[in-house]
Amino acid sequence: MATREIEFRDALREAMSEEMRADPRVFLIGEEVAQYNGAYKVSKGMLEEFGPRRIIDTPISESGFAGMAIGAAMMGLRPIVEFMSWSFSLVAADPILNNAPKMLYMSGGQFGCPIVFRGNDGAGGQLGSTHSWCVEGLYSNVPGLKMAIPFDPYDAKGLLKAAIRGDDPVFFLESERLLSTKGEVPEEEYTVPFGKAKIRRSGGDCTLVSFGRPLYFCLEAAETLAKEGIECEVIDGRTIRPLDIDTIIKSVRKTNYCVVVDQSWSFGSPGSEIASQVHRYCFDDLDNYVGRVHSDDVPAPYAYNLEQEMLPNARKICECVRAVTYNA
Amino acid sequence: MPIDITMPRLSDTMEAGTIIKWNVKEGDKVSAGDVIADVETDKATMEMAVYDDGVISRISVPEGQKVNVGTVIAVLDGEGAGASKSSGSAAASAEPAATKKAAAKAKEAAGEDERGESRGSVAVAERPAPPERTPPAKPGKAAAEEPEEAAGDVETNGRLRISPVARHMADEHGIDVRAIEGTGPGGRVIKRDVIAAIDAAKETSRAVAPSAKARPPASKQEVLATRVEKEPASTLPAKAAPREIPGPAAVSDGGLEAQMVPLSNMRQIIARRLVESKQTIPHYQVTVTFNMDPLLDLRSTLNRQLEDQGVKLSVNDFLVRACALAIHKHPYFNAAWAEDHIEILGEVNVGIAISLPEERGGGLVVGVVRNADAKGLRQISAESKHLAEKARTRGLNIQEMSDSTFTISNLGMFGVDNFTAIINPPNSAILAVGAALKKPVVRDDQLTIGHEMNATLSLDHRVIDGAMAAQYLQTLRQLIENPGTVLV
Repeated sequence: MATREIEFRDALREAMSEEMRADPRVFLIGEEVAQYNGAYKVSKGMLEEFGPRRIIDTPISESGFAGMAIGAAMMGLRPIVEFMSWSFSLVAADPILNNAPKMLYMSGGQFGCPIVFRGNDGAGGQLGSTHSWCVEGLYSNVPGLKMAIPFDPYDAKGLLKAAIRGDDPVFFLESERLLSTKGEVPEEEYTVPFGKAKIRRSGGDCTLVSFGRPLYFCLEAAETLAKEGIECEVIDGRTIRPLDIDTIIKSVRKTNYCVVVDQSWSFGSPGSEIASQVHRYCFDDLDNYVGRVHSDDVPAPYAYNLEQEMLPNARKICECVRAVTYNA
Repeated sequence: MPIDITMPRLSDTMEAGTIIKWNVKEGDKVSAGDVIADVETDKATMEMAVYDDGVISRISVPEGQKVNVGTVIAVLDGEGAGASKSSGSAAASAEPAATKKAAAKAKEAAGEDERGESRGSVAVAERPAPPERTPPAKPGKAAAEEPEEAAGDVETNGRLRISPVARHMADEHGIDVRAIEGTGPGGRVIKRDVIAAIDAAKETSRAVAPSAKARPPASKQEVLATRVEKEPASTLPAKAAPREIPGPAAVSDGGLEAQMVPLSNMRQIIARRLVESKQTIPHYQVTVTFNMDPLLDLRSTLNRQLEDQGVKLSVNDFLVRACALAIHKHPYFNAAWAEDHIEILGEVNVGIAISLPEERGGGLVVGVVRNADAKGLRQISAESKHLAEKARTRGLNIQEMSDSTFTISNLGMFGVDNFTAIINPPNSAILAVGAALKKPVVRDDQLTIGHEMNATLSLDHRVIDGAMAAQYLQTLRQLIENPGTVLV
């Protein structure tokens, strides 16, 4: 399969452009997506190709354009809504949480909501506490939606194409910190299915489970720990809803230890849900409690050093793995 | 209020029990004290009584099935519970149920504590000393702190701390988890501890049984499967078809038929206790030979005189009493090692090893003659006979098997000259007795024919030293060779 190396943001654009070429119902709407080529240049050149009827600039009015897009989805279109940051989606909580995921259910199957909400999630770097939200803890709690957190350009493109083609509302969580990372992406058409985790590194001593950006810290920690004789198996969950718990269970049954790394706060988070399921399904296979590395239980600080310390990082992951595997 | 009837813990070593027989069926009315089932424990078959009045609404464990202690085996609908008539009556019956539950919990806790004690050093090590315990974290800080870290300070109440996978692996490999020293937080037994124990066990078995590999590589699983099918659950003596014993004449040239024999409860407990004894007690042996002529003479005189009364004393009856009397001069022979002290016991209860017939699944039990030092030969004889007879037919109950302080194992009736026995914990000594045999002996510097009997004491060196053993045997010799002293 022929591949080439492209940036994460290019992968996202390819996914959207390919799907828009293939399906006239697909359109992109959000702040600065058209004339400015996107706040992060994800939609660069798309206005020229698809015109202002399909690449739509909006005022700063998340509640308004998210709600409008949900209405369009109910009427048969397939909108892609870009939030400049998922932090800004909080003002659109009612449409995106109270309408989109429940529409099919509340309308007795009359109206679906095939929509993709996408944007930057997590700390971008010194953006302060109100602009550094990790929304997966809040939003994954809601039934009826799907949630993907891509790790590399390959998954970013494959998962986004699958999200656009799907009939359910998808919360697509990108990371500003990953947009410039590069990776091999096939020339050919492909999609990455939801609910299929990927093992990023194999090992027999401890299972590490994570999503998106913290996977880099996991891989870094796994390098360090390997030198100490602890071989970690790093699992990229890829999608939080649906969650591929089977792959995690299989790994934990092999390693007997598990550490979940989740950049959201620990209380009521994807990390707590995964830990709970691992305790439930791997009870007889565990040699210790399931370790968890999260963002510290504080609002994101502005200071660079404090922010780095608040987020999951390789040092914290190493410490947790050592403790859980009784190597502290 | 339905009340769950659970498999009770009928002895301190019992972990599971088999319902041998239900005496009630669903719908039967029962009163407190009624015996509703016969339960086979690791030691005995016991009668199980119900503690409440009511109707047996459900029997959830069929006869012949073995379940763990605490498993619900039946449900009793308490009186006035037939229909939820009034909230008043419901509340009234709810209260006793609650207190009962609390009592059961307290009982359970006590049982666990007892188990903890008996584990000796392991339990001591696991129980953190209260003053050193750090105070519980302040609730306000809880959210930000790692609450898992605090787990190391939790009171164990003598319970074994073990990770699930460690428990699982130990079960799979038949490792006794209580013998493992945990290296995890607070002494928790973790995976690597079990792996070490498995490796150690492999080493031991390699060293002990080098010939084990010589067995034919028959398809084990197949043999086991067919075997289990034929003999479901435990080898119940009452119902099991009489086992076919191949005649000794038919010696084929093909060797034995390889087979896997499932372990009976008793075989498991024998294995566990004796391995524990041999591994933890520093055994040593001291052997003496007794001149048995005076005792045999006295015995035949007494038996002749008592014949009309149906009394027939055995050599063993004399030994039971003699051993008990000798203990009065040597109290350490009536003692138990208790890790940080030696416990000298107040009652002298002499255990007698009783082998069980093949029809009852073989094995052996120890019947106990309580206060043997305070009983005459006639009573000792009667009790010994009763114990042996009952053990071989109906089986002994827990009372008849517990609290021995010294044990005698006698293989004299098989003509055995000399052997050594493994100490029956928590005893500190066991006397292995051979047959009183006619031998050329030296008496008054003359070579003549006399009766001699060898006896070998196995001793716990933590409690009894060699010289003490010699002194005890000296006292025993005084008694046996001057048997009149045993009479009074």
